Amino acid sequence: MSVTVEKKFAVQVVYNGVEKPIQVEAEERVTAVLQRAIAAFGVTQQPHLLSLFRQDGTVVDENQSVEQAGLKPGEVLLLRPNAVKGGSERLRVAGDVLPATFRMLQQCGRGECECVVYWTGSTSSCEVDGVEHPAHTRSAFGYEVQSNWLTDFWKRLAAAKRSVKVQVHSHPHQAFHSGSDDCWPIVSQAGFVSIVVPNFATGKPSLEDAWVGVILADGRWQRLAFSSEVLVMS
Amino acid sequence: MNGLAELDRTILLCRDYVAADLTDYEICQRLQSQQILIVSEHRNLRSHAGQTALATLVSLVSRMGMQVALDIPDIKLALTQPPLQGASIESGLLAVNEAFVASATITTRVDLRPDLTFALGDTPIEDYRAPCWRLTGGEWSGRIDMDGVGRSWPWTVEFPVGSMISAALAATEAFKFALRRLRLRSELNRAFLQASQSSGWDFALGATPIKGFDLGWVDFISAGAISQAALYVLARIPGIRMRGRIFDDDITGVSNLNRNMLTFREDVGRAKVHIVARRCPQLAVEPIAARYGNGSPELEKLAPRVVVGVDDIPSRWEVQRRGPAWLVVGGTSHFNVSSSIHRLGEPCSGCLHPIDEPGPNVIPTISFVSFWAGLITAVRLLQEAVGRPCPSGRQHLWLSPLRMDLPRAAMWSPVPARKDCPVKCPASRSLTQIDPLAA
Repeated sequence: MSVTVEKKFAVQVVYNGVEKPIQVEAEERVTAVLQRAIAAFGVTQQPHLLSLFRQDGTVVDENQSVEQAGLKPGEVLLLRPNAVKGGSERLRVAGDVLPATFRMLQQCGRGECECVVYWTGSTSSCEVDGVEHPAHTRSAFGYEVQSNWLTDFWKRLAAAKRSVKVQVHSHPHQAFHSGSDDCWPIVSQAGFVSIVVPNFATGKPSLEDAWVGVILADGRWQRLAFSSEVLVMS
Repeated sequence: MNGLAELDRTILLCRDYVAADLTDYEICQRLQSQQILIVSEHRNLRSHAGQTALATLVSLVSRMGMQVALDIPDIKLALTQPPLQGASIESGLLAVNEAFVASATITTRVDLRPDLTFALGDTPIEDYRAPCWRLTGGEWSGRIDMDGVGRSWPWTVEFPVGSMISAALAATEAFKFALRRLRLRSELNRAFLQASQSSGWDFALGATPIKGFDLGWVDFISAGAISQAALYVLARIPGIRMRGRIFDDDITGVSNLNRNMLTFREDVGRAKVHIVARRCPQLAVEPIAARYGNGSPELEKLAPRVVVGVDDIPSRWEVQRRGPAWLVVGGTSHFNVSSSIHRLGEPCSGCLHPIDEPGPNVIPTISFVSFWAGLITAVRLLQEAVGRPCPSGRQHLWLSPLRMDLPRAAMWSPVPARKDCPVKCPASRSLTQIDPLAA
């Protein structure tokens, strides 16, 4: 007896009570289905916290293929956060932070070297109102922050009850998170935001072409479709 | 602008759907300019349930900053309506004019041109200039229908759970109406804000007795929005008996006023536990102005039934580790409610919430969503107390109040045990295969 496995079918995804069919393919990964569902519902608030849940309460493993996860045609899946904390808030970035960032990246990098800055704010709020340019070595292929400067930086932050909210650095051409970017962020706590600006930040002060991502609880980095998922630019 | 600070969390939640370039001021103004007319004739307002529907709806829409006008007869209160005071429902409500949040007025001026009208039961409506929904319901079920849709019924029951359901449904329509008048972030968001012609919710407890509720000893962990909503509901149950404690070291902030159902503006700066104890004396809840987990072992010995309304995930784990016989956990996430119960031996709250994502300092919230979380929490307690335990297939409820007219607004599910449960509950440990040769 042969079993026919349907290769293309639709699952029903429910978000905020609204149900939509989402087309899936047996070989594609669940993470792709999840991204499609997020886009179909226009979710912009903390989409990286969302997962797909079956009606028996189990989470659909994002690392599996649709077939491995055992998804069936017409199966109802709930799109909801995988950690219910009453919601999350985005960082509110003061109006002068982005222009100041680009100014520093341009002046230091001179169109030929990578550079990095850190966005800071009070530990008791989600406001970003400061930009720190560290002492660092630089080349067209990378940068390295001086450890003495870092030690002093952490002390200053602690004394002022401030924290690093976002790391921003420039790349020569395309914006992406390299292997060393993945391994060595200044903060490794889940939810920390990293931004990579293309073309040594020689363009206009905008995050339109930037790579924006957050570190997940398991240490992986997730690229976000829009910077507005985690940032509100004033 | 008056009310901007009080509505900060609500405005933040509106940003899920409104255009990003709208200012807080514009969103606040939209909410505050909305005029709500609530009408009822004598026979729909004389019952405790009818009065509860009115009091709850007024509180929920006022806490969104909206303006309320009442066209109601002045009727003696059937039972107490905490936190309202006064001998009649009308005087009780007029006394809290602008007391929930600044600039949210409650008047008897009916000459205003309302944006929306809500009518209790089958109260006749004379003026059809504004969209109108009717609030109806039974003991454990409530619904709203646009005037002219379906048949209208008078409020005849006394038991008030259904009336609080209908009030929460009505408040949701008021909110969606306001947001539909703002520019949205995306057309995709319109589906979440669509008006419901009819919507309802039934706890399906029709055969459950409606008197003689004795909850015994109950501990509440947190005196925040969800616990306050649960106690608001319980305080309205006729003849209810319970004793217990409420733990919280927090004081009331301005940004709590948008959802803390037992709190007034005058309470800002006061300990939340004292506000709760003072407003619900009939529930005999002892205020403990300390964070649970920071006291003596004797103090932290839990009651047989525990209500957890804290958003902090590790705090939920900590309570669960103490092994209460019965635990209900209520939470909200943007426009959604999560409610779960955990009995001894069942998969625990750690299995349901295994990850402690980094939390924001400012959480978006709104009155009717927090109220739903408290209402469900309270009903689960009542259900347990009368020996109608929830089946394991309904251990977890994910509710989306924005579209209660849709069949998938409520998703019940079991809680699967997880091997990586941070609490290491018995259900999760049973998943680990023991190799007898390795022992």
